[in-house]
Amino acid sequence: MGMGKDIFEITVNGLKLVVIFLMMVQAVPILVWLERRGSAFIQNRLGPNRVGPLGLMQLLADAVKFLTKENFVPDTAKPLLYYAAPVFALIPGAVAFSAIPMSTPIQIGVFEMFGQSWGPYTFLVQGYDIGVGIVFILGVSSLAAYTLLMAGWGSGNKYSLMGALRASAQTISYELALGLSIVGVIMMYGTFNLTDMTMMQQGPLNFSFMGYTVSSPYLPNWGIFFQPLAALLFFTTTFAESNRLPFDLAEGESELVAGFHTEYGGFKFNMFFIGEYGHMMIASGLMALFFFGGFGIPFVSVVELQEWAAGVTATATGASALVAGLHFLSFMVKFSFFLWVFIWVRWTLPRFRYDQLMDFGWKTLLPWALANTILTAFIIYAASL
Amino acid sequence: MNSDFINNIGLTHYLVLAAMLFVTGMAGVLFRRNVIVLLMSIELMLNSVNLTFVAFSKFLGILDGHIMVFFVMTIAAAEAAVGLALAVTIFKRFNEVNIRFFEHLKG
Amino acid sequence: MTADAFLFWFLAIVTLVSGLSVILNSNPIYSALCLAMTMVGVSALFVTLNAYFIAGVQLIVYAGAVMVLFVMVIMLFDLKKDLQTFARGMFTGGVKLASVGLIAGLVVGAIKSAELFTEKVADNPVTTGNGMESTKALGQILFTKYIFGFEALGVLLLVIAVGAVALARSKGGTHEQ
Repeated sequence: MGMGKDIFEITVNGLKLVVIFLMMVQAVPILVWLERRGSAFIQNRLGPNRVGPLGLMQLLADAVKFLTKENFVPDTAKPLLYYAAPVFALIPGAVAFSAIPMSTPIQIGVFEMFGQSWGPYTFLVQGYDIGVGIVFILGVSSLAAYTLLMAGWGSGNKYSLMGALRASAQTISYELALGLSIVGVIMMYGTFNLTDMTMMQQGPLNFSFMGYTVSSPYLPNWGIFFQPLAALLFFTTTFAESNRLPFDLAEGESELVAGFHTEYGGFKFNMFFIGEYGHMMIASGLMALFFFGGFGIPFVSVVELQEWAAGVTATATGASALVAGLHFLSFMVKFSFFLWVFIWVRWTLPRFRYDQLMDFGWKTLLPWALANTILTAFIIYAASL
Repeated sequence: MNSDFINNIGLTHYLVLAAMLFVTGMAGVLFRRNVIVLLMSIELMLNSVNLTFVAFSKFLGILDGHIMVFFVMTIAAAEAAVGLALAVTIFKRFNEVNIRFFEHLKG
Repeated sequence: MTADAFLFWFLAIVTLVSGLSVILNSNPIYSALCLAMTMVGVSALFVTLNAYFIAGVQLIVYAGAVMVLFVMVIMLFDLKKDLQTFARGMFTGGVKLASVGLIAGLVVGAIKSAELFTEKVADNPVTTGNGMESTKALGQILFTKYIFGFEALGVLLLVIAVGAVALARSKGGTHEQ
């Protein structure tokens, strides 16, 4: 395997990973702009509007500022961990995001290039297809706790350490509720594979329960109608996982200066920022995948769209590219909506106190997630009767 | 070294790797004095055993090895939880994690 | 060298080097971080053995939870470099070294001398599909053949959870009693 594969396929797959990573990183300045303008809109002020049209060039100015800042290392820091932490902050987000399917695969027929015939290919619009997709994503994103601890301890600062301990305790506590909240979803779809989950959410709402088939032409067949509680719990826990308000106790300016990244400035701080946004993106992508039909277009199934595309384009390759493009757009709309909800919530809700946060995670979210799991199991059993 | 040994990865390779990891963990338990490092060395040994189980499972074509790994992981997590709770208690009492300082059972 | 062989050798070197650094580093923080690296390496080795689900669980349970706990506890203690990293005593040290060498020799010798079978290719549930099939089969035997062990583990975990809380409980804290 591997070596025997076509050079073309290897190159395209390699490039795809780079493009997905760049897409993730490049989305961050846009999100920052959206966050600043959005917060200004919510708080009835203007936000950055001087640099370029609508203040869009502010991002570029910020990037220049980040890159030209003085490179500063505190005296008490452990240089190795201090420098490694921001780099590691990028890894979980980037690796997990690549496993999210963003569209239907593109089928490329036989074509001629460089005087050679290149065989038919199938390109997935996702970094890599893993059978146990969701387990992989959970596993990789659980490694994010190390970043916090490395940064907190490596800075050699009391406030950084406190912030890191808080943040990592919060992350591993909420991971339980996060994992349990999607057990119901996994049981319902009967698969770990994210593409399969998306494929099950096509068309209008219909399901069979105890021999009766229920269907509604007015609602899409989305997971949210089957697992509303799981959706709520999942979305809540992802806020804690990405250290966003109302769960950003790690930062807690009023008591901890800036938490685990107190000692970081310039580009190193920026990398933590990208990591945080990476978590938001994974959460938004998973939210769309589990509960809002993934890349599917509401009411239109993939097969219908493929038939329509075959009618309007000349070649099979073109048709599949068109289908993939439309699905990608659909995914992006849902994805952007959830990213906006993240920003919206941040500027709406106040911060929890630390004991409230822990109580909420252990005594509210966890029991409800367990109850949801058990309820789902019973309903699935009853439906199969 | 012949190229067959390098190119043809079989059960032996995984077993030898697991044995090396196990011996590393064992050396850690015997030579180190920090309680937490001792616990970590035990985790390393358990991990190497897991690797053997999974390797055997693949080469025999049965899934029972995976189940064993599942059980070992659960028990290892439980052991780490209790071990760390003990380490925290010991540290609170003696303000020290070196086992040399609490080898006497006198409080 | 094939891609499979390259992957194996790469992962073997990563796991062994980080495993060795666990016991050679005198600073427990670096030991713990190296052990986390070993866990990730072992998880990748599981993937090369087609155990996708087990690899994911390894990442979640070991690398994501157990090792984070270790790192957190060490940071909470704020341990510096160990003053006496290794046990002292020439004689006991020699005995220990000899026993480690003996077990290493025994294990490797046993593996070398045993008639090891080649991979079972046909009718192998571990290598079918991209991990979904074997995960389903794993669930089925876990909840039929090994159901007693599974339930017993559940009880064990409950006991452990209560025990760990009871052990680490302290007076005061953020919550009123």
